[in-house]
Amino acid sequence: MIQIKNLSKRYGSKEAVRGISFCVSKGEIVGFLGPNGAGKSTTMNMLTGYLSATGGSASIAGFDVLDDAYEARRHVGYLPEQPPLYFDMTVNEYLNFVYELRRATQKKEEHISDICARVGLSDVRARLIKNLSKGYRQRVGIAQALIGDPDVLILDEPTVGLDPNQIVEIRNLIKSLGEDHTVILSTHIIPEVVAVCTRIVVINEGKIVADGKTEEIMQDLGGENRYEAEIDGDEDVAIACLAGIAGVLDVSKPGKKYIITAKEGLDIRKDVFLAAAEQNLPLLSFAKAESSLESIFARLTNKGGEN
Amino acid sequence: MKAIFRRELRAYFTGGYGWVFCGAFSLLAGLLYFALSISQYQSDFRHVFSNMLVAMIFLIPLVTMRIWSEEKKQKTDQLLLTAPINVGEIVLGKFFAALMLFLIALCVTLIYPILTHAFGTLDVGVTVGNYIAIILAAAAYIAVSQFMSSLSESQIISALLSMLTLSAFYFLDLIFQATTSEVLSGISRFLSIITRYRDFSGGVFSLSDAIYFVSLTVLFLFFTTRVIEKRRWS
Repeated sequence: MIQIKNLSKRYGSKEAVRGISFCVSKGEIVGFLGPNGAGKSTTMNMLTGYLSATGGSASIAGFDVLDDAYEARRHVGYLPEQPPLYFDMTVNEYLNFVYELRRATQKKEEHISDICARVGLSDVRARLIKNLSKGYRQRVGIAQALIGDPDVLILDEPTVGLDPNQIVEIRNLIKSLGEDHTVILSTHIIPEVVAVCTRIVVINEGKIVADGKTEEIMQDLGGENRYEAEIDGDEDVAIACLAGIAGVLDVSKPGKKYIITAKEGLDIRKDVFLAAAEQNLPLLSFAKAESSLESIFARLTNKGGEN
Repeated sequence: MKAIFRRELRAYFTGGYGWVFCGAFSLLAGLLYFALSISQYQSDFRHVFSNMLVAMIFLIPLVTMRIWSEEKKQKTDQLLLTAPINVGEIVLGKFFAALMLFLIALCVTLIYPILTHAFGTLDVGVTVGNYIAIILAAAAYIAVSQFMSSLSESQIISALLSMLTLSAFYFLDLIFQATTSEVLSGISRFLSIITRYRDFSGGVFSLSDAIYFVSLTVLFLFFTTRVIEKRRWS
């Protein structure tokens, strides 16, 4: 459905996207994961024809985004990072405008009603967009992308700035959209891709550093064996004590908590408790550390370098 | 193009710009009609219209400054430029919406020839000539201002740029009147809006002057299209 070959974009001397390639087949929900400034939005803007690539090519539903721009755009619904809303219009007027702008061929009234029902806008159709809450505005943005029933949906950070309830709702909505659309969504939130996507493409500094099924990538990422401990008492004694435990590779104290890195696959929790007790060091809290986005990217980028 | 035209025209009136423009335009036209026609016992509209032409240098940019600047700022241009539609159509839709707003404002002034006709003698040729000329000039003004709006995200900057450019076009022949150079004064007479306007306002339909205004309009609409297209490459 989507084919990207060696796509690159240069802004002056800065190369935002450096020759990325991947394909998305019909029905996939692809999570485009990367830290801010990695080139996610630029790639999406190139796919939708808002920006032109400086190298390589991309096609949607078989239409090149540059040579067959008109046909390619007909097949894409796009929700940019900031939903492109006209605040002086009501939801209904806005969706009617987008319908005409995109030259949709579906039955107008029915089509717009269906979309509103699907994204949960039916109750606010007569309201001015400027009076809607952020969550509703985001829904209008998604509704706008659905007009004309495009095969491909490109959603740039669709849950950013929403409250936790709204995030869950929008994620469920995207999952249901994935049943009859090909979806690419960008995000820098790992649990989001795990919850929604069937496949993950990780991008960093304009290059793809990982690409695969969600479970595979997550398994790869979950391997790091790190713990966080809060310990009362003298710092040097505590570090010496923790470092002395068999299987511990590294102990550091960047903030209030001690970070203990152990050999992969080894459970050191019992040993830590006993060792601390032996030294009369009260263990205030202790937990397995979640991999942070930064550490994951660091690992993936290193791996990308090794390959 | 129709969708853009309708949205723009609607936005003028929901956003208030349109009402303010119509009000200001009517007020100025009314004052000029009173000062230069009624109080002078003149049935000739020439001076009313040529003064309106100067006022429009400042009025029109105030309406058109938002045309592209605001889209860029609110990022709604992402919707327009990723829709299956030509940039040219968007530019034309916006142009005709602004022109329509001007025509609506101009309609109010139709009452003046009617009044003059009722209480005096109306020179129909001169009146029609003036109306044609002011519409042609307004079209050119709008095209120039739309172009300036495409250059900057700031509405103030785009309005100032338009006012400067339009004043330059308007006063070109005054600036070069002093020159003795045949070439310079030839160029200035060729480009000056005021020179081009004169024949029309005398009630003579001049094809070459009409072509001048239309070319100016088309040229700047084309420039606007190029500027918007070029953004994809930046």
